[in-house]
Amino acid sequence: MNSIDAHIISLIIFLPLLASFVVALLPSLRVAKIVAFAASLATFIASLHLWFHFDPTSVDLQFVEQLPWMPELGVSYLVGVDGLNLLLILLSTFLTPLLLLSIWEFSGEGHKSLMALLLVLECGMIGALVAFDVVLFYIFWEVMLIPMYFIIGIWGGKNRIYATTKFVIYTVSGSLLMLVAAIALYFYHGEQAGFYSTSLLDLYKLAAAGGIPGEEYLFLAFLLAFAIKVPLWPFHTWLPHAHTEAPTVGSVILAGVLLKMGTYGLLRFAIPLFPQAVLLYAPSILALAVVGIVYGALTAWVQEDAKKMVAYSSVSHLGFVVLGSLAIVGNQLSAEALTGAVYQMINHGLSTGALFFLVGMIYERRHSRMFSDFGGLAEVMPYFALMLIIATLSSIGLPGTGGFVGEFLILLGVFQAQPLVAILATSGVILGALYMLTFCRKILFGPITHVANRQLVDLSRREYLYITPLIVLTVFMGVFPELFLSKIRSSVGHLASNFQHYHLKIAGVHPAASDAEPPVDESAVIQP
Amino acid sequence: MLGVILLSPLLGAVLNGFVVPKANKMLAHLLGVLAIGLSFGSALLLFQQFLAGGGEPSITYVFEWIQAGKLRVPVEFVVDRLSALLLLVVTGIGMLIHIYAGGYMREEKTTFRFFAYLNLFIFMMLLLILANNLLLMFVGWEGVGLCSYLLIGYWYSEGANADAGMKAFLTNRVGDFAFLIGIFMTYRLFGTLSFSELRAVVSSSASFDAYTLQQLTLITICFFGGACGKSAQLPLSIWLPDAMAGPTPVSALIHAATMVTAGIYMMTRLNFLFYLAPFTMEVVAWVGAGTALFAATIAAVQWDIKRVLAYSTVSQLGYMVLACGVGAFDAGVFHVLTHACFKALLFLGAGSVIVAMHHEQDMRKMGGLWRSLPITHALMLIGVLAIIGFPGLAGFFSKDEILWRAYLYPGSGHYLWAVGAFTALLTSFYMVRLLALTFYGKSRLDHHTGKHLHEISSIMWAPLIILALLSIGVGYLGVPGLLAIPGVKPHILADYLEPIFAVHQQVKETWAFAGAHHEPFWEALLMLVSVVLVFLGSSIALFSYARSSQPNLGPWPAPGARLYHLLSNKYWLDELYARFIYSPLGDIGEFLWRIFDIKIINGLLNGLGYTILGISGFASFKMSGSVHRHAIFMIAGMLALLYFLL
Repeated sequence: MNSIDAHIISLIIFLPLLASFVVALLPSLRVAKIVAFAASLATFIASLHLWFHFDPTSVDLQFVEQLPWMPELGVSYLVGVDGLNLLLILLSTFLTPLLLLSIWEFSGEGHKSLMALLLVLECGMIGALVAFDVVLFYIFWEVMLIPMYFIIGIWGGKNRIYATTKFVIYTVSGSLLMLVAAIALYFYHGEQAGFYSTSLLDLYKLAAAGGIPGEEYLFLAFLLAFAIKVPLWPFHTWLPHAHTEAPTVGSVILAGVLLKMGTYGLLRFAIPLFPQAVLLYAPSILALAVVGIVYGALTAWVQEDAKKMVAYSSVSHLGFVVLGSLAIVGNQLSAEALTGAVYQMINHGLSTGALFFLVGMIYERRHSRMFSDFGGLAEVMPYFALMLIIATLSSIGLPGTGGFVGEFLILLGVFQAQPLVAILATSGVILGALYMLTFCRKILFGPITHVANRQLVDLSRREYLYITPLIVLTVFMGVFPELFLSKIRSSVGHLASNFQHYHLKIAGVHPAASDAEPPVDESAVIQP
Repeated sequence: MLGVILLSPLLGAVLNGFVVPKANKMLAHLLGVLAIGLSFGSALLLFQQFLAGGGEPSITYVFEWIQAGKLRVPVEFVVDRLSALLLLVVTGIGMLIHIYAGGYMREEKTTFRFFAYLNLFIFMMLLLILANNLLLMFVGWEGVGLCSYLLIGYWYSEGANADAGMKAFLTNRVGDFAFLIGIFMTYRLFGTLSFSELRAVVSSSASFDAYTLQQLTLITICFFGGACGKSAQLPLSIWLPDAMAGPTPVSALIHAATMVTAGIYMMTRLNFLFYLAPFTMEVVAWVGAGTALFAATIAAVQWDIKRVLAYSTVSQLGYMVLACGVGAFDAGVFHVLTHACFKALLFLGAGSVIVAMHHEQDMRKMGGLWRSLPITHALMLIGVLAIIGFPGLAGFFSKDEILWRAYLYPGSGHYLWAVGAFTALLTSFYMVRLLALTFYGKSRLDHHTGKHLHEISSIMWAPLIILALLSIGVGYLGVPGLLAIPGVKPHILADYLEPIFAVHQQVKETWAFAGAHHEPFWEALLMLVSVVLVFLGSSIALFSYARSSQPNLGPWPAPGARLYHLLSNKYWLDELYARFIYSPLGDIGEFLWRIFDIKIINGLLNGLGYTILGISGFASFKMSGSVHRHAIFMIAGMLALLYFLL
């Protein structure tokens, strides 16, 4: 393993954080904008290194970096990549430059702070995705929360305080329970193994060695934290508020990546750590997911505010992902469904991100998101219409878009496990088309009923620049899914067939934590 | 070769959509026609090679599409006797309609968009036809649905058009739901979605246990559900008449000649499964016959020229589905072929009338047009004669084949025949009624339209002449053995298609009757009966609508008025759906959102939250609303937490 491989992840985590300080301190806005964008682009390029050098045949943890942090407590800085988080990391690094581009001509106050916060958020997201130490994960998990809190609270709409407080209280109450459960797990591991460790890899061994006493309660604690984040019905009511009040960038990143932390956490923590509890609770969770699919779709359909509609559609879509994560066939998870779940996380990030961007564009022009203020926009904004239609098609899972591949694999897998559940969930395919086409119909088609809409200009070059990559990638992922699926296949298969005795080891001969590496940026994370 | 056939329309769509200058209408048209012309030429060559090679199926693997768990779905195309034939139909008829569309859409500003959609449609349709697995077929299946949605709503500024597109998409989605379940079940039962593998598995099984047969019944029912959506069969037939909101070339290409026959194509492709599910087949046959009759009765009272043709399409699709149900898949395909020719001809002819009439579609305002539109009239006359089954024209052969095969079906065959024959009577009635109202009798045109009436341009009638010739000639691919026409072999098409049908011994025994032609007396008698019915229906229509005195334009005389009312309201099927499905769903959505979501869940949790806040004495803090104070508290909390941990 060369030195790039050994430190690449740390670079990807902390480059945005470093840039955020620079951006915040720079006196010139113009320079700050360029620095922020360049840093996010550099982060994306660095993350491409993971893509190209990732070994898809291995189930092991790759690009691992492990440094002792609080050795007396068994806490270490342990980060790595496998097939479960690879695509999500890339999604985060891919979205951030686009976000920065979208606020390039931001007219409100605090442009620099907003950019800095977005970069901190990127650091938090990537950190949480690559952390294989429970304490490290928890810290990054909370780090994500803070910038989001400010983004909604400062740049949000009228009810931003209510929305952001609600968002934080929900998330924190879930994650506090998770913390308690993690501490319990930590002590149990100490008792059993004879040494204390917060490394997820050690905890996996504990789970594989035999059940953890009281694991059904510990599982529920983790589940609650993730269920709120996803959000799984009925823990979703913070989401519509957060989305409607958040500025466009906030909504995009919330839907694009933050929600996936819930489903990712399910795959990374809840399922492999507490397999017996999973067997016990899977039917109930599946039921909640199916209710969420139908409920989210029907409520989305009757919304009058475009952004709220997209928010409720997320409840429905994420229901599919949860469904795909817990399709148990025999004593295994369905590999098809699990693949679909991992893939769908990315697709949802792209298509819903694009939808929020697009809604944001018309909001900027008209300062309204109410359907009643629109109609007939296809005539004056043809490119906008084209983009919106493609994003819609991906959202309803039309073949040829990534959304189809994910949804199909999930439903196919779930059908092998629970035909009835799959049939109910498949009705979401009809309902999805119902609300999404209604959405297009109300915004794009029909006569232009408001004079103001006649004057609307089509996408600017900058808007074109940040929406096109999302749309193109959406289609690309539908036509050539194998490029992506081949990367995640081994890891997904490993989790699917071994979730009851899951283990993960570090790839290759791992050089002991190099002393040359100064423990730079961790302190920065701890005291923001 | 396959690459050119498929990619040429896709390239055309991309060029027209993104590259070609928007204002250049000629170029858009030329490009559209060129793209499909290239495709058609290659399809011809391919067909020739295919026949020269003995008609053996060949599979072309392109790339790995999806692989997950045990599922493997490659992008793989199959050229066999069925797909090779349909390739010709789609690209051939498609090309003629593309040519015609240039004239029809002359007045449009966004022709590039139109031709981009149209080319994309051809690509998707070819994908559907050539796919060697269910999922790839589903891609084409949904793709054509998308193009149909976009083209129905082509004039989207009119809200009704956009609504019609949406209705088509959503109704199809209901069918797709069933199709998807069918795919899931197939995968569970066989572990593969590939047509060739499925076929191999099924034909190599010695026998089937009860469980497999029961599963097969469910699977085929699901697939048939998908077909009901795409091919507009009851109860999902409601979208097709509304789809006429699109430009007429679209109605001809998508909603008559090609896309709507995809359901029949899919069932034919899967015939080896359907043959093993006699219960499904019975259902299929009755739904087909029922739809044929149902739509024909509605067509009989329509005034909009395109709506008559739309209901007629639903009805004719019913015939094809009936053919599949009685095991006569070859007759179904034969009718797909003949129908594609004469229905395209009829739609384009109607389009010419509409253009000449300055976009008037109400036949009550026409009449006597044969004098001013002689070419259109002659072409339409051929189309009408072909569809009603006038002896010697295409529809006569294909429809009679279906009726005869239905008659042979054991059990309910005679009844199915009776329904089909009665529908034939209605068909001749409403089609001749259309002809009479439009072209014969006194002119009912308003002064302005009458003065500007003009025959269509050559770019529009030239393709129609080819279609007219086909509407006469194609029938001779399926001459019954009974009629020895010198120089024409009987059953050319059926013999050609023979190898694609079920190969399993068990099936051959059960469905032995399907190929039987051993009762010449009855066959001749029934043929005679249907010819008599055709003349009867035509005469009634001519008598009622072609007299030069005022024809019967109002509701029927009193005794029939109630029936007329029922038919002209399309049996209130749309209202039924609106009342019992669409509105209740909306009400549920409203309830879930306004009551359940906001009041109950949110209310409970907020209540809980406020209670806790109140207890901790934080209520005033929360109401203060200062973000910065929140932030300070939060960071302090985080630091405390970290301190605790460290």
